[in-house]
Amino acid sequence: MSSPSFRDLSRAGRALLGRRSFLAHFGSGLAGIALQRLLADDGPIRPEIDAAAPLAPRAPHFAPKAKRVVMIFCSGACSQVDTWDHKPELVKRHGQPLPGADALITFQGEQGALTQSPYMFRPRGECGKHTSDLLPQLGALVDRMCFIHSMTSKTNTHGPGETFMNTGFTLDGFPSVGAWVSYALGSENEELPAFVALPDPRGVPQASVNDWGNGFLPAAFQGTPLNAQGPVRHLAPPSGSGAAAEAATRRFLAELNERHLARFPGDSELGARIASYELAARMQLSVPSATDLGAESAATLREYGADSSDPLRAGFARNCILARRLVERGVRFVQVFNGAYAMGEGVGNWDGHKALKEQYDVHGPILDQPAAALLRDLERRGLLENTLFVWATEFGRMPTFQKGASGRDHNPRGFTTWLAGAGVKAPFSYGATDEFGYAAVEHPTSVYDFHATILHLLGLDHERLSYYHNGIERRLTDVHGKVLTDLLA
Amino acid sequence: MASIALLLSVVGLTVGAPLRDVDYEAEVRPLLAARCFGCHGPERQKSSLRLDRRAAALRGGDSRTPALVPGDGAASLVIELVSSADPLSAMPPTGPSLTADEVALLRRWIDEGAGYGDAAPENDTQLPWALTPPVRPELPAITRPGWEHPIDRFVLAGLAAAGLEPAPEADRATLMRRMSLVLCGLPPTPEETRGFVADTAPDAFQRLLDRLLGSPRYGERWAQHWLDLARFAETDGFETNTPRPNAWRYRDYVIQAFNADLPFDRFVLDQLAGDTVGVDVATGFLVGGPHDTVLSPDVALTRQQRQDELADMINVTTSAFLGLTVACARCHDHKFDPITQTDYYALQAILAGVRHGERTLPSTAEGAAVRRAEPDAAARPAVSALLNEEAFAPRVASRVRFTVLRTNSGTEPCLDELEVFAGDVNVARAATVSTSGDYVGNPQHERQHLNDGAFGNARSWISDTPGRGWVILDLHEPTRIERVVWARDREGVFADRLAIEYTVEVADESGAWATVATSEGRAPLHDAAAELASLPRAYAGRFEEPAPTRRLYRGDPMAEREVVAPDVPRVLGALALPPDAPEAERRAALARWLCAPDNPLTARVIANRVWQHHFGTGLVDTPSDFGAMGGAPSHPKLLDWLAVELVEHSWSLAHLQRIIVSSRTWRQSSAPSAAGLARDAAARLLWRFPPRRMEAEVLRDSILAVAGTLDEAAGGPGFSTFAPNDNYVRVYTPQDELGADTWRRMVYMTKVRMERDGTFGVFDTPDAGQACPERARSTTALQALNLFNSSFVLDQARRFAARLERDAGSEPAAQVTRGFDLAFGRAPDVGELEAAVLLVESHGLAALCRALFNANELAFLP
Repeated sequence: MSSPSFRDLSRAGRALLGRRSFLAHFGSGLAGIALQRLLADDGPIRPEIDAAAPLAPRAPHFAPKAKRVVMIFCSGACSQVDTWDHKPELVKRHGQPLPGADALITFQGEQGALTQSPYMFRPRGECGKHTSDLLPQLGALVDRMCFIHSMTSKTNTHGPGETFMNTGFTLDGFPSVGAWVSYALGSENEELPAFVALPDPRGVPQASVNDWGNGFLPAAFQGTPLNAQGPVRHLAPPSGSGAAAEAATRRFLAELNERHLARFPGDSELGARIASYELAARMQLSVPSATDLGAESAATLREYGADSSDPLRAGFARNCILARRLVERGVRFVQVFNGAYAMGEGVGNWDGHKALKEQYDVHGPILDQPAAALLRDLERRGLLENTLFVWATEFGRMPTFQKGASGRDHNPRGFTTWLAGAGVKAPFSYGATDEFGYAAVEHPTSVYDFHATILHLLGLDHERLSYYHNGIERRLTDVHGKVLTDLLA
Repeated sequence: MASIALLLSVVGLTVGAPLRDVDYEAEVRPLLAARCFGCHGPERQKSSLRLDRRAAALRGGDSRTPALVPGDGAASLVIELVSSADPLSAMPPTGPSLTADEVALLRRWIDEGAGYGDAAPENDTQLPWALTPPVRPELPAITRPGWEHPIDRFVLAGLAAAGLEPAPEADRATLMRRMSLVLCGLPPTPEETRGFVADTAPDAFQRLLDRLLGSPRYGERWAQHWLDLARFAETDGFETNTPRPNAWRYRDYVIQAFNADLPFDRFVLDQLAGDTVGVDVATGFLVGGPHDTVLSPDVALTRQQRQDELADMINVTTSAFLGLTVACARCHDHKFDPITQTDYYALQAILAGVRHGERTLPSTAEGAAVRRAEPDAAARPAVSALLNEEAFAPRVASRVRFTVLRTNSGTEPCLDELEVFAGDVNVARAATVSTSGDYVGNPQHERQHLNDGAFGNARSWISDTPGRGWVILDLHEPTRIERVVWARDREGVFADRLAIEYTVEVADESGAWATVATSEGRAPLHDAAAELASLPRAYAGRFEEPAPTRRLYRGDPMAEREVVAPDVPRVLGALALPPDAPEAERRAALARWLCAPDNPLTARVIANRVWQHHFGTGLVDTPSDFGAMGGAPSHPKLLDWLAVELVEHSWSLAHLQRIIVSSRTWRQSSAPSAAGLARDAAARLLWRFPPRRMEAEVLRDSILAVAGTLDEAAGGPGFSTFAPNDNYVRVYTPQDELGADTWRRMVYMTKVRMERDGTFGVFDTPDAGQACPERARSTTALQALNLFNSSFVLDQARRFAARLERDAGSEPAAQVTRGFDLAFGRAPDVGELEAAVLLVESHGLAALCRALFNANELAFLP
């Protein structure tokens, strides 16, 4: 079957067209009229989508540093002052009030005193950067990390915060970062989804499908949730009907569709649907081979912690191994979630309001060894040279304990994320919170800036990558964002 | 604002003439062009600011601070920024700073009035086409026999201009299938098709059309189009995504509106102000969107959440009815359409009294009957699981104690929220809570839920003692209070654990308790559960008289500016309401204005939507954007003709359906022609009927109909394909084994926001996070996997096979023939029959049925 030219595309397909061919075909026609004005040299760029192969690789806007992304997302707001943001002043002023915070009402209410981390910070790596004993294996990799200590969010509620960090909007209904990237760049392996989300073994994260949804982008660009425990839904019939029957049914269907197509010569939507069944059949082979960890050596399983007696750590480790296998196979965007929805405060995720130490003592080891192994493994295999590794969470936590509790309330005014790998300066620390780790004071950085930088590393101009929806040229970064050029290697 | 700008411009032009003025053309423009216009000129307008036009510079950019104050250079933002020492704000941001002479020149020019001379371009103020009311256009001449229908005359004129020929008429079986799928969303039965093909009476086509428009299936199909626009879902969205068990009533209202051919102007009024005309359920439209129920004592956050809620209501109202995008004007004047920030907040003032939530339906027959049956007012009403108010003479209190002495169920009492009001401020939110003891082991029932602002069982408190318990609220500071409001479950799901004997006491700073209310004197509780069941409730919002609406600087809820009266965008008209008009009146006025004779948009927008759902693409292909960034209409006069026709026929959408379906344009074959594909591949000019893949609902419903398992039960609570879950953050896990209760039409599938059905969701079903005016139509391998391998499809394939055995006996050829007839409305050709029989003989009849369910012929509108 020949690949249809874009002029055969449906209305839905046309909505995806890039500006050049859009103008070539429609510049003097009906649909082009209104949009010409925008399509100047600095106007929006809509990737050109082939309806028969929506995940085919597409060129970025300029030479990229990274070809793909692995993001570890810690759901529940992982505390910066207990992990990456070292504040000696917090130790010195332990037990004293946070200056200027007498009447401070945060998410759950009033604040108690400044409280030092229960985890000791010590210098690590060659650079000697201090990180805490909560995550020692990741800490040992500080020389590869580029920290942003001055992240800020717009909200201090988990759902909207997680949605903001993953879609650029606090509201429901917008495409996730991974969906934007798949829309822009397609995939290097059409036989696997372009964007895979790996939810924590404990369950889906708090914002659930918002984190990997396609929003108003076509469904082809949604993240496919799977993990080492659960494969792609409907990859095979639930009770095998036998290979011969499967093949015969497919053959008959193909013949039926070809005969039908003969009555509609040149109709690309029909052709694309025939092609989608062929691709589905190939996925039935390629997905199990990607998700089968049986080929991994015992040493690898051990390094990641997949042999751990803690089923949660072993499960998260398997997801991390899976992430590496997917990246190796050309999947464009892999997002690994650590922490699930709220099952009680801080029980299933990093939301340590009431008993931070007890909860983080559980969560830290689940994250640390597998995530560190993933970063090392990617580097060892040379994949880090063109893979961007991102660690993120939705917002930070207070340097104080909550009044009458042994944990920290939400804090969107300052938190830490870090990048590693392709195109990123490391070891490097950008921005800073105040002396207590409360509010970003040096280079305050927005989620928009964070997203703009990720897109930039992938060779995409965040101000131009665009999709028309409901009257607006939509962007991941809305009307905001600047690339953090200081972070670029 | 506009009038001030105008005034200033007059002042500037008249005053700025004496002595030797700075010459704009010769001195100022070259400087601005070199250093400013690159970002603030004709090509780009960073921060929405342009300096090459006087009016724009006077208006200012996103900050809404005028860049120039004619006559006062020192007070002008431009001078402040070009002379700023702060590298973050100084202009220009790159290159050397302006020299002192250059700054002085600009300053003198502004002091002299900031004249732009005669040559400077000014804003053109011509109204866009869509803002001019439609008038019935003259019909193009008849150029071809049989193409006399008004629609056909417009379409044929367009085709002739492009040198294209229309397609011949489709065969009758195809027309039957098309009409059934477009109007009712289901394929016709073989018997219906045969009957129509054989019916040679001249009015056969019209009778079929009338029959389908009269079918209950018609409303079920067309309601879905509207529900997409209304971002309708039956859960809150956001983190908790809590179900709205009574949201389905709005869905049923929409279905009934289409089935009854409710005039569209009435449909508009119902949905915006149904409470004023006895159709309470219809305001479910306003609150159909997401609702963030996780509240916090943090004021900025709470205001932001409220602003987001209102933005959702404003956006859905303007995009659904007016086809205008006003969302951007929340922070700054619209860049492309004549919508100002003040217009946005004027719209917000119309909707400012709308709150998310349920209310009882007093206007329904059931509701009225229940009200009549209530005991008369001699006694206070019995306690209600839904809401109770204890009003008392205002008094200063430091503490409030609510003591439960007995519950209706005898089990531990439950309060979902305890509110204490000083005026309309709930001071309980900032209080500290203590209790007699808390229910152990369930995070849904912790004490902090008593004053967390979140309602419903999932955020409630339960005591640790059967039948008894107390709560003390230590108020933030001594406050004059007058009212305590409490409930067992404001969401109306639970009615057990209800306090039926209780006291409410307050203590002032002395610490002495005084009783202000008790359960004494209340009518006896009959049966709280029965009460709940008998009072129909709907997720249709709650209304309250709002505080004055203020414009928010850059949309920041903490940066309030001047009061804005409720109104429609200035460029479109005016409602002439005072700022304190009753809120229901505001909404009703908006609805009346939307359907007033001189409104240029409403009729065009809905006529275009009806057209879109026939031909796949609207005459305007950006159906919710008729603004400057929207698509130009392919047939502008046809659109106006349809709009006028609709209004003149009492806004009857069924009339519009009849007109469209009766045209030759609609009856064309969908087979492509080389010339058509070459010149107009998308068939915008309608040289054929454009075929397309049908939506998820049609695919699922068609499979059930063909298998003979479709349950046609209409209305009522929906069915779910997710596993039950009652975590307070809901988790929606698709269920694989689906029983007969899920074989209803998909419009009755409980719509979970953001989560899509595990099998059909990948067919571009909207997520109801944002309004969906037009579904994407993507083709993916995951769709193929779901349709080929899901247990739903395989189960239905087996049932289809069983049906074929019942209908056609055991002979494979007869089974195949019946299968093609049911699935495609035609007999197999010889090759197909042979291949199909072979498949049946080798791998069983269900294998054939599975293939038929996956065929393009089933999935596409012919």
